[in-house]
Amino acid sequence: MTDLLANLGLGFSVALTFQNLGLCFLGCLVGTLIGVLPGVGPIATIAMLLPITFGLDPVGALIMLAGIYYGAQYGGSTTAILVNIPGEATSVITTLDGHQMARQGRAGIALGIAAMGSFFAGTVATLLIAALGAPLTGLAMIFGPAEYFALMVMGLVFAVVLARGSVLKAVAMILVGILLASVGTDLETGQERMTFGLNFLADGVDFSVLAMGLFGVAEILRNLDQTETREVVRQQIGRLLPGRAELKQAAPSVLRGTAIGSILGILPGNGAVLGPFASYAIEKRLAKDPSRFGHGAIEGVAGPESANNAGSQTSFIPLLTLGIPPNAVMALMVGAMTIHGIIPGPGVMTKNPNLFWGMIASMWIGNLMLLIINLPLVGLWVRLLKVPYRLMFPAILMFCSIGIYSINSLPTDVMFIAFFGVVGYALIKLGFEPAPLLLGFVLGRLMEEYLRRSLTLSRGDPMVFFERPVTAVLLLISVAMLALALTPKLRKSRDEVFTEA
Amino acid sequence: MTVPTPVRRTLLLGLAAATIGLAAPAAAQAPYPSRPITLVVPFAAGGSTDVVGRLVAQKMSDVLGQQVVVENVVGAGGNVGAARIAKAEPDGYSILMGTVATHALNPLMLKRKPYDPVADFAPVSLLAVIPNVLIVNPKLPANTVKELIALVKADPAKYNYASSGLGTPLHLSGELFKSMAGVKMQHIPYRGSGPALNDVVAGQVPIQFDNLPSASEFIKAGTLRALAVTTKERASSFPDVPTMAEAGLPGYETYTWNALFAPPNTPRPIIDALNAAALKALADPVVIERMKAFSATVVSSTPEALADHVKAEVAKWAPVVKDAGVQTE
Repeated sequence: MTDLLANLGLGFSVALTFQNLGLCFLGCLVGTLIGVLPGVGPIATIAMLLPITFGLDPVGALIMLAGIYYGAQYGGSTTAILVNIPGEATSVITTLDGHQMARQGRAGIALGIAAMGSFFAGTVATLLIAALGAPLTGLAMIFGPAEYFALMVMGLVFAVVLARGSVLKAVAMILVGILLASVGTDLETGQERMTFGLNFLADGVDFSVLAMGLFGVAEILRNLDQTETREVVRQQIGRLLPGRAELKQAAPSVLRGTAIGSILGILPGNGAVLGPFASYAIEKRLAKDPSRFGHGAIEGVAGPESANNAGSQTSFIPLLTLGIPPNAVMALMVGAMTIHGIIPGPGVMTKNPNLFWGMIASMWIGNLMLLIINLPLVGLWVRLLKVPYRLMFPAILMFCSIGIYSINSLPTDVMFIAFFGVVGYALIKLGFEPAPLLLGFVLGRLMEEYLRRSLTLSRGDPMVFFERPVTAVLLLISVAMLALALTPKLRKSRDEVFTEA
Repeated sequence: MTVPTPVRRTLLLGLAAATIGLAAPAAAQAPYPSRPITLVVPFAAGGSTDVVGRLVAQKMSDVLGQQVVVENVVGAGGNVGAARIAKAEPDGYSILMGTVATHALNPLMLKRKPYDPVADFAPVSLLAVIPNVLIVNPKLPANTVKELIALVKADPAKYNYASSGLGTPLHLSGELFKSMAGVKMQHIPYRGSGPALNDVVAGQVPIQFDNLPSASEFIKAGTLRALAVTTKERASSFPDVPTMAEAGLPGYETYTWNALFAPPNTPRPIIDALNAAALKALADPVVIERMKAFSATVVSSTPEALADHVKAEVAKWAPVVKDAGVQTE
């Protein structure tokens, strides 16, 4: 305990220097801004800013880059709530209830609870990293390919359970997502699948391309043919601070979301993506009246938002303690550290205690800054919606195009977001939800990879999924949840509740 | 342009020059380089090729007096970025960070070749050599390469080895090891070396071939055991780890290399200017030290030596690629 305090003391002494405070603030501000702007994600921004950090000392540089990352998570939820575009995979879920709240004139409260939930989650996650960073990495070690496969199966079952509309349509969308994920060069054999000999499909469909097209461009198309609904959102901003009753309603969701997000974030297989989905599914299951979900339930914003922020911070644990980047942004952080002559790995904590504890302390300071930046700025972001749509949609389209081009420098990516935009628009018109498709896409690729790896390791013996306790339990939970969702009685009430009128 | 002009006008002139340069490269009379140079890195930002590229690009910018801008053109294992330079304007304003993958392994693996590694590029200079390393989980009862070979031979169906992906230099290092040691192991490909390292540390897979830079901290921390480096000489960062040849496989040598390439038919004066700038950048103590910190060795060369190097590498890897059966459509 005294160790922990001494270490945190060292961290704060590093993070609270004038230069590092300034860099932290700059990172958070830039992060929020790019998070708010649809289409410009943290990956592109950090990649573009990497050369600028050459001149800084490594601790300051990493503090700034980390600030951009979690700042973008804050900003991303703002766009999800106000414009219904998820900037990152982790804010897909926030669009469901967050945007509904905005349409009901409760945009301010949705943003307020998202910011407060995120701050709480960030604080807990910071303490968690500090206290349990080293021992918790053991958790990652007991997760082998079979366990990850079971985890992905559970994620897909969650996707069915939480989908709006008919179960059949949700399953169809998940399957389309999995099919899309199988495009590209096969990992085990190197053969190209469904690429039609096109070079740019050799690596498959890019997640950000799919997300930007299905959500960003499709949403713009939809808004263009129904302008009145946007008027409603624009006119009513609403209070910023949630009332007592709302806080009381949201508090348990924040606690649960923080716990779920923290645990999933530690897993190196990009478990953080699952956090918001898992949190939403649980909130919906626990709610007295699940019918409110999808129609502006505050728990549906508070839980997933806390989970995504907790996860985004605990995902630093595998990076800082094992040197394993759990997602693309963390992979960039590895690059940033390497450029500065620090090799990420188990040695960082002992060899560069200034860096390790300084970054952790700066995360908490950054979260506090974000709360301070975001609450007053909520009014500004909301006012962004007052810009006439005929001016806003070209700007959003432009940012989407620049953002997507800056990731891989491929013109085909830009054409692809237009293509998926049209597909997404057709899906919305036909009553299909794009969210399960995206989840199927993300999880499908990982699921196939882990499934085949488990079977290669077991030399084709499927018993590998039943012999291991963690795997067996996860698969049992999935089967039980699926059975529950398909029970005739439940299914009937579910269909009544979720089919949109 | 000898008369000092206000900064703004210089900027405007520069902009105008750049525009003209874009419209008609042949018309640009200004000495090379008169506008920023794009260095295409055909792999994602943050990887070892990207790190080497950015380090060198920064120093080359200082030498050339023009920004060398890194652009990550990612796709198809580096082929998309390399193909772009193979077809680029030979004006010296777009150049490539080539690697053993883009200039030896990929062209050998693909039956339908997107470019020719020898004919479609003008070599500039080698930049860096990065050793590979054979690592095992510490619980594996093998402290030397000889013990490992004996262990695997005793139970040929049992052992797996991990690599950062099918057809990567690391996968083929493993295949070369198998054929030279006469052992059988099942290859388990991953998406990048990070997830592979995780499974080897956790013991899901006992053996791995990896880049020395990404494995180095695990070796130092003792969470992985290094049996041998794959280069001819020991790595200066790990003097205690023997080479593969010392450990019992004479003649075994693999490594990852990075080199600068320009589009084909680039004029000789431009190649010379780029080569001179690269050599100056590689002589910079900061660059040398940063590269050493992640176990890369700075290696410069003449354009001719690089051309020979590419041919030698293609000849060396052709039989390995063929035996591994990784050729695809």
